[in-house]
Amino acid sequence: MAVARVSGIRIAGIANAVPEAVVINEDSIDIFGEQIVRRINETTGIESRHVASAEICTSDLCEVATHKLLKDLSWEHESIDLLVFVSQTPDYLLPATACSLHGRLGLSPHCVAFDVNLGCSGYVYGLWMASQLMQSGAFKRGLLAVGDTISRIVSPEDRASALLIGDAGSVTALERDDQASDMVFDLGTDGSGESNLIVPAGGFRMPTSTRTQERTVREKSNIRSDNDVFMDGTKVFTFTLRTVPNTVASALDTIGWDMDTVDAFVMHQANRYILRHLAKKMDIPEEKFPICIKDFGNTSGASIPLTMTEMLADTLRQKPQNLILSGFGVGWSWATAAITCGPMVISELSIVSNVPKKMPADL
Amino acid sequence: MSKQKFLLLLDDLFEEDPGTLSGEERLEDLEIWDSLTALGFIALIDDEFNLIISGDEIEKCLTVNDLIGLVQQDVVE
Repeated sequence: MAVARVSGIRIAGIANAVPEAVVINEDSIDIFGEQIVRRINETTGIESRHVASAEICTSDLCEVATHKLLKDLSWEHESIDLLVFVSQTPDYLLPATACSLHGRLGLSPHCVAFDVNLGCSGYVYGLWMASQLMQSGAFKRGLLAVGDTISRIVSPEDRASALLIGDAGSVTALERDDQASDMVFDLGTDGSGESNLIVPAGGFRMPTSTRTQERTVREKSNIRSDNDVFMDGTKVFTFTLRTVPNTVASALDTIGWDMDTVDAFVMHQANRYILRHLAKKMDIPEEKFPICIKDFGNTSGASIPLTMTEMLADTLRQKPQNLILSGFGVGWSWATAAITCGPMVISELSIVSNVPKKMPADL
Repeated sequence: MSKQKFLLLLDDLFEEDPGTLSGEERLEDLEIWDSLTALGFIALIDDEFNLIISGDEIEKCLTVNDLIGLVQQDVVE
């Protein structure tokens, strides 16, 4: 378990974007039956989700959000000197999506850009990485783009994930500021959890083939291919209960806050059942524990910034807030941040309809 | 905790009337037993015994009594 402290970096603003298409969970009654859908909805707290069409990539969502945020901040595109893209759903195997995004955004050649492959923990990891790099003095303004379009690789007949996953892209603007409060991070990994939340095919371990795209009956009658995401929800729950209270306690301890000092605990929005149990276990009152899952589902790495903009916008626009941000899941990987942020720019949520094809011209 | 009280908690989790479960039931015969119920069981054990059991331990259980056996030291007959 690593603990880090970063000084002199502030969050200047956050913007998010979701695909226009909305899927209602109740519409899956034909596949799973009424009882299963009812129980899943009651447990997860999810009623509908924004899902990306086959034309929309994570980077498209982040691109729209970035244009909006830079406009709202009145920042010139040329002033950005760092772009970190955190996602598990890149445009291509190569080049890095951060490079593609850099080109489409028209950022300057002096801007450093790279990808980081993380999911549920990715926002907090990205915040740590970007702010730590900026603390070095090499960068003045940075963008952290985080998001996923996992719904595109979910089998509609796998009830462990079919009704759970929504898509979103976010961008957070960071800036050097000597007056900014310190940020504290607690980060960790347990790679023994590799197989519990995984898309087995499509990398170099198991390249895609006609065999990997074949959907077959798997555990508990779920139908899925090796190109689809697999999640063992029970193991995710156990991992979460064993990990999150400790990483949150470590971050609180390091920064020297008690529970009362915290204005809000913004957790990765895994599902409502997990979140409510965590809140009870950690003795956090409901009003300090925003849940933003009913209309979005589990949006992977984007769920923390999405919760900040959809649930905390009014306060974050007006005054400083002491926040605990905690992401946990695929990897297993987890990270918690204790930060004081605000007032900041919170852009209105962007809704993205189909985008023009962006394949390179020669393909 | 008494086994009787624990069974009443499981009746509630399994959406059965109080006093329905005896412990002998095979989990595969209970229509509601699935991963969602397993989540509820993990939460119940955490609430009542401050113990986090793993999915692997639950997967080995065949009967309701096997589930109770996971916290045997805390349940009296």
